[in-house]
Amino acid sequence: MSAAPPRRLGLALLGTEICVLFQRKRTWAMLLALAAVPVLIAIAVRISSSPRPGRGPAFLDQVSQNGLFVAVTGLVVAIPLFLPLTVGVVAGDTIAGEASNGMLRYLLIAPAGRVRLLWVKYVAAAVFCVAATLTVVIAGLLIGLILFPVGDVTLLSGDTITVAEAIPRFLAIAAYVTVSLLGLSAIGLFFSTLTDVPVGAMAATIVLAVVSQILGALPQLDWLHPWLFSTYWLGFTDILRQPVSWESFGDNALLQGGYILVFGALAYGRFLTKDILS
Amino acid sequence: MSRSSSLGRWVPAIAIPALIVTGALVVPLQASASSDLPDQTPRQLLEFAASANVPALSGTIDQTSNLGLPDLSALGSVAGGAGGSGSSGSGGTGLSSVIDLATGSHTARVFLDGGNARVQVMDHLAERDVIRTADSAWFYSSGDQTAVHVALPAHDGTGDTARTAPDGTWTPQVLAEKFLSEADVSTSVTVGEDTTVAGRSAYTLVLTPKDTATLIASVTIAIDSETGLPLSVAVDAGADSPALEVAFSQLTIGAPDAALFDFTPPAGTTVTEQALPTKAEIQAKKDGSQKDGSQKDGATRNGAEASGKSAASAAEQPTVIGTGWATIVSVPASAVPAEMLTSPLLDTLTQPVDGGRVFSTAVANVLLTTDGRVFAGSVPVDALLAAAAGR
Repeated sequence: MSAAPPRRLGLALLGTEICVLFQRKRTWAMLLALAAVPVLIAIAVRISSSPRPGRGPAFLDQVSQNGLFVAVTGLVVAIPLFLPLTVGVVAGDTIAGEASNGMLRYLLIAPAGRVRLLWVKYVAAAVFCVAATLTVVIAGLLIGLILFPVGDVTLLSGDTITVAEAIPRFLAIAAYVTVSLLGLSAIGLFFSTLTDVPVGAMAATIVLAVVSQILGALPQLDWLHPWLFSTYWLGFTDILRQPVSWESFGDNALLQGGYILVFGALAYGRFLTKDILS
Repeated sequence: MSRSSSLGRWVPAIAIPALIVTGALVVPLQASASSDLPDQTPRQLLEFAASANVPALSGTIDQTSNLGLPDLSALGSVAGGAGGSGSSGSGGTGLSSVIDLATGSHTARVFLDGGNARVQVMDHLAERDVIRTADSAWFYSSGDQTAVHVALPAHDGTGDTARTAPDGTWTPQVLAEKFLSEADVSTSVTVGEDTTVAGRSAYTLVLTPKDTATLIASVTIAIDSETGLPLSVAVDAGADSPALEVAFSQLTIGAPDAALFDFTPPAGTTVTEQALPTKAEIQAKKDGSQKDGSQKDGATRNGAEASGKSAASAAEQPTVIGTGWATIVSVPASAVPAEMLTSPLLDTLTQPVDGGRVFSTAVANVLLTTDGRVFAGSVPVDALLAAAAGR
């Protein structure tokens, strides 16, 4: 590891990076698209007859009784594709994007070593994961409040809790989903160090997210399932049991941590040995 | 940048995966590392287990089945007919519920406090709950949002969940001795290596059939070294991994939150009130259950199941052939529930043999003869065919 650079510079670089990320039209377009997921679900349920239990995505039948479930249904729908898609775009763009527009050389001329740049880029991608998840949850809660009655929340176990008790659970779900996406962000960061073409890194990240879920659906490969980063993606519903089952949260955090370490180390090895030509 | 430092940059990329793989291999080994407990004879261990009294606990139980059956979760809705729900496991007929339990793995949380009990089967994006208190029992399924309520007779409340001996004279010593003397004919009972289950050190009791005619190689029971509570049961049928395994993955001794046993069905739930059937009702339902193949709700399903079993014992007694582990149970054609024979799953699950169809698993075989009789036992198919031909 290189000598620790002054802490202030790293934070300043991180601040700039996050500002740049959220000043992009593309970022806001992706967040808007994510917000549209729960909104469309809510409108569809509102204008159609109430769905029968067991049909459509999980929790859909609960939506017409309790608007808060729009947020959960939105996450169930968004996590297999929409969330990985946006995270893949942001994480795949991190290094390759700077390389493609010729900024990488200048970023490294400034007193901001490669390690710090890698770190800052990853944290910015993680911040986007938080923003993306919260967008789905908050958009879902808001549209649910507008279109449907809101009351006591029915948990999977059949117990009911008050709205005040439910809000921390929804935040815990948002935290769970955010953690779920951190491993994918690290993979995207690594792919981004491999190429100067951001679209390639983005596509590779998204394809890997889909492949991982397809492998996870094949019962013949059950020995592989505990190692797939998408294994626990839908496990956030364990937070809706009574009492809360934190086991999957811990397993998920451990797994994602492993992915962050492995692909972080790979990105470190690749980025620090790379010849920066652009 | 020199070549050596360039290689040095890749050290973390090599070291970290290596560390993780090592950790993934070592941690499970340590978790199941054999603990060193004082030696026990089988008899002492049985006495210890029989004297166990754990009235209150909460824990997580993992069940894995490796019976050599295909994963039929996709077929569950076929069995349930048009009304079957889409979520796996929560719908379907009694037969498909059994198949659901026999394939794949399940996780359930268990909460016990005296006469109160709650079991939560944690399905994918859904949950099935059974809550039992002194005077009532609830079944709740979040997948199709149905609940069944059974009012229990008051005197029934304390008996079976508390692990008490059925009679005052049945001390643990008597129980252990009786079990050993009866088992000795067919089974060798030994104490296996100490193990660790759910982070608790445990003795293991190994039951090995003396009869080689059975499919079962051994049954291993882990007994908690502190409380005598059984922590895991594994049925080994000769394959690498146990054919059936039920084990605590997490266990806390002590009373769980009392609010867990206070169940009120949530708004929007279809609640079915069901009384415990009397004998007359069982007989009446038996006639009705013949055409009740596609169930409408959980209540009818449970009713049909219960009546199917009770009617069989009342009217047409199944006969038992053989003794010990190689026992074959023979059910006459008239006592076989029609639902079982008309299910579309039957053709998928069974293989044709000379004289009927066979439902084959690693631990047991079931023969459905062409004339409608059913033979079942933990024996090879040939033994079932011989039993069918011999009668």
